[in-house]
Amino acid sequence: MTRQEILSSTKEVIYECVPELEGTELTEDTVINTDAAIDSMGFTLVICRLEANFNIRIPNRQWQRLSTLGDVVDAIEKRIEK
Amino acid sequence: MRFSSLFQMLSFRASEHGSRTALFYEAGGEKVRLSYFELFDLVQRRANDLRASGKTSIGILTDGSLDCVITIMASIVSGLQTVLLDENTPDALLKGYIAYTDIDFLWSSDSELTREFSPYLTGGVKSGVGRVLFFTSGTTSRSKAVVLTDESLMSSAYNGGSLLPLEEDDVLLCQLPLNHVFGFVCGLLWGLSCGAAVALGRGARHYIDDCAFFAPTAISLVPLLLGFLLKHNSLNEELRLVLIGAGDCPPRLISACASMGLRVSFGYGLTETSSGVALSLGADPYAMTVCPDDEVIIAEDGEILISAPTCVMEGYYKMPDATREVLSGGILRTGDLGFIDGDGLLHVTGRKKEILVLSDGTKIFLPEYEGELAAVLPGRDFAVAEKGGAPYLVIKGGASDRAAILSSVRPVMELRPRGQQIRDIIFTPHPLPRTATGKIKRWELQL
Repeated sequence: MTRQEILSSTKEVIYECVPELEGTELTEDTVINTDAAIDSMGFTLVICRLEANFNIRIPNRQWQRLSTLGDVVDAIEKRIEK
Repeated sequence: MRFSSLFQMLSFRASEHGSRTALFYEAGGEKVRLSYFELFDLVQRRANDLRASGKTSIGILTDGSLDCVITIMASIVSGLQTVLLDENTPDALLKGYIAYTDIDFLWSSDSELTREFSPYLTGGVKSGVGRVLFFTSGTTSRSKAVVLTDESLMSSAYNGGSLLPLEEDDVLLCQLPLNHVFGFVCGLLWGLSCGAAVALGRGARHYIDDCAFFAPTAISLVPLLLGFLLKHNSLNEELRLVLIGAGDCPPRLISACASMGLRVSFGYGLTETSSGVALSLGADPYAMTVCPDDEVIIAEDGEILISAPTCVMEGYYKMPDATREVLSGGILRTGDLGFIDGDGLLHVTGRKKEILVLSDGTKIFLPEYEGELAAVLPGRDFAVAEKGGAPYLVIKGGASDRAAILSSVRPVMELRPRGQQIRDIIFTPHPLPRTATGKIKRWELQL
């Protein structure tokens, strides 16, 4: 799976979990907390859906280090490679 | 029923109601029950192991699992110093906490993590009998560890149970982190001290489906989690009681629960008081009955003072000066403002201290947070303020500064739990309002 495909799939999950963001442009540089205004519970939901979709597990201790959408894509990419 | 120690409660339940369900938990996708007799047995065995280890101060990275609960109880029962820690504490902070609280044994369900931190363990403490340490705000560099005791926690559980009793056929769902005193007392001890069953939630990945899985009749929640569960229609039909605490709760959430026929009780308390001081029992969730062991005094300036010999903390761990600032002659200065109405009910109206209480129940000490931000925003006029239960950065400037500011604050944000990270920036073209001594007039900030 290419990085672009992971990003695209991640954006789909975000739009699904946080419907208020529909129509908002999301890029790898989007800061999740501020630019996308996703609160900690919304973020939990997004990560859980991504884990299920990609069949991976991102350790809880890593979650708070995921600041931008690009960080999330990195974390997924790394675990898919494994 | 009042118990003076966890051991007394567990032994009583095991001998008098041994076959009743104490805990529900998940194993292999199935809901499994553990009786009070089995719980007591497991705790005693683990306590014997801990005593035999010769360790004195145990740090427990809480994950809410059965193994974690057994370890916490065993540590308390065996009289060791028990330090409850957030499992997601960043590495650098965890090293500091280990040193500060003299931890000589670190427990985590992740053995790799335990190994990683073993070089930082200390020589322990000389005497920690009965001490249970909770950090006030979870994860900041200058967090204070609040020294509570086995007895103060059990007294707090008694207080909750005496005002809001649970029956033996009740199931209390425990979804909150056990390193937070509200989660520990109101998510776990409250249920067990009433002889009810406690269902151990399965962590963040199961917030949405835990209610359907465990079918609880009661649940303790922070406002943020309640809002999340309501948004996703996750509350089950067997549920009858929702206890909300650890933060201001928007009326719309309380109304949503009431419209579902749920009894809603709102609790006020602090880590320093072993959790609950007052609970709302009637129709008005903001009018709270003071718990039997607590006496509330309103100071001349409106500050809520608490006298509760059985529940108030011993002090902040190894911080006598900080302790003296808030605790003197058995009276705790809460830093919160409030009043007692004509019916003797407590109302909390605001905060005197420079603290933000967020909707996930965690606290931000503003001088500390703003000090960290000042290091990466030199020369900028800014403040941190709460809006909708989340922290916002209020700063003099314009939207064109946005990208640069976000980039500058990022290293500070990465050291904070997600809930404490700046949600957004509010720009103002004017200097921030300040007192003559330069302190920010927080009440005048335009949000």
